[in-house]
Amino acid sequence: MNFEFGRVALVVLFALLPIVGIALGFFVPALRARGPLVVGFFAGIIPILSLYIPKRFLSGETGMRPRLDQWLIIVYGFALLLGVVNVIQNGTRKVARREKGWPFSVVLLTGLFVTGGLGIWGAVSGQGITTLPDGSGTPFKWIADYFFLPLQATIFALLAFFMASAAFRAFRARNTEATILLVAGILVMAGRVPLLEFLAAPFPPIQPAAAAASQGLGKLTEWIMQTPNGAAQAGIIIGAALGAASMAIRVILGIEKGYLGLGGGE
Amino acid sequence: MAGFVEKLLNIDRRWLFLLVFAGVAVPIIMPMGLPVTTTGSTRSAFEFIDGLKPGDAVLISFDYGPSSAPENDPMAEGIMRQCFTKRIRVVICALYPLGGLQLANNSLAKVTAEFPHLKYGEDYVNLGFKDGAQAVMKRMGDDIVGAFPVDVRGTPLAQIPMMKEVRSLHQISVVVTIATGIIGEWWITQAHPQSGTPIIVGPTAVGAPKYYAYLNAGQLVGMLSGMKGAAEYEKLLAARYPDLGRFYRTTRAFTATKGMDAQTVIHFVIILFILIGNAAYMSHRAALRKAAAR
Repeated sequence: MNFEFGRVALVVLFALLPIVGIALGFFVPALRARGPLVVGFFAGIIPILSLYIPKRFLSGETGMRPRLDQWLIIVYGFALLLGVVNVIQNGTRKVARREKGWPFSVVLLTGLFVTGGLGIWGAVSGQGITTLPDGSGTPFKWIADYFFLPLQATIFALLAFFMASAAFRAFRARNTEATILLVAGILVMAGRVPLLEFLAAPFPPIQPAAAAASQGLGKLTEWIMQTPNGAAQAGIIIGAALGAASMAIRVILGIEKGYLGLGGGE
Repeated sequence: MAGFVEKLLNIDRRWLFLLVFAGVAVPIIMPMGLPVTTTGSTRSAFEFIDGLKPGDAVLISFDYGPSSAPENDPMAEGIMRQCFTKRIRVVICALYPLGGLQLANNSLAKVTAEFPHLKYGEDYVNLGFKDGAQAVMKRMGDDIVGAFPVDVRGTPLAQIPMMKEVRSLHQISVVVTIATGIIGEWWITQAHPQSGTPIIVGPTAVGAPKYYAYLNAGQLVGMLSGMKGAAEYEKLLAARYPDLGRFYRTTRAFTATKGMDAQTVIHFVIILFILIGNAAYMSHRAALRKAAAR
């Protein structure tokens, strides 16, 4: 029998240690946070170490890091389950207490149970979630195609109307910064589409000039997007990445405890 | 004059809505065929895929939902058509939970129907949806089977001929992420550094600005920015491949090129709104100042 150090270490760190932690939490409440902090430390440090230490047990095909990645996918599944539980709890409470807007919660819960139920039934019965063995669609697919897809598209399409209304009422040149934003916005909006060609369409003599001007406007738009916008975006991304890295270090070292939900967050 | 300005500033917004509706609906019903000029980021994406050899594998990740389908569907379908025309193998997956898989299934069914000689499992495969996008990408960098043990039909990947050669992202020539939100960015920050696989992103127009930073840094080989990016891609496809050119000219289906007409008109309407709104605002402010001076 092969002894896989990585596998054994993972079992110790993420199965035995949490059990010990839970037991400790029962008997010594002051130590409740210790177990999760140790688990958090190893879950954070193993992927980092695997980048620098090319050992089989750490970063090999069946090493600790790839296994942790796979576990992460499973944990994500549980997160989805938590979301569903949360929706059910909030929805049922709203309906039971007849809070404002409770009929919407009835619709939400009905949609959740009917759609989710049909999907789960398709999976459990082996018929398939979206397609039946004969190639036809399942009721789940029918709901997705004829309710979910058009409804989501409709909600997003409504944005065009609100954006146009907001453009008319709120997009004002109130000061220098707003004016710069306004001019840049108009240039980008005009440069991203063949606007000049559209305006010149009824006047054939000026069409070549409009096409040439449109090319120039397009180049100016690309410059705005690539240079000032690209530089600003890079700054934002680097800043956010540094923030995420410092937060990760705080979690790994046990300084940040807010995620434990024990009220000890800083 | 002051009365007119006041009236304009307080115009019933339903008139604005009506103009927007007409601005979108009329060009869709009566296409104008406005010209589309191509940008460098779309051309580099197109040329990269065009430079691949038959038998290479491209991963197309459907990381968007129905809300942005009119912008994103033509991108995904255009790239699929290019790959299938060149006999490049296509691996499909969906990492966006709100309808990504449904859109992937629909687009794949539509495009593969145009290429009846293609065989599932040899020319293309649909891995389906998996939750936990970042974790899935990281796992795919090591081993695709670890993230997707079975395809969308429940067939183990080990039984799918083309997946015997495509074991991880290392065997993928380029990842194309058609993305609504942050998932496109994760492909750049999680998958690209791990496997070195080049990335092409197809974001919505509102999501595109952030990707210019990655484009400038060389972490993207190309980008199809919104509906314009998709329309540019259709133009490039039509110019390079005569069969696809015929398809895009004759199809009655919605394409990004047709959508650009509506987008042009609606941009014009919004610019007009901004200019009129500001003119009325400035005139109103001047009138107030004048009244205060008296």
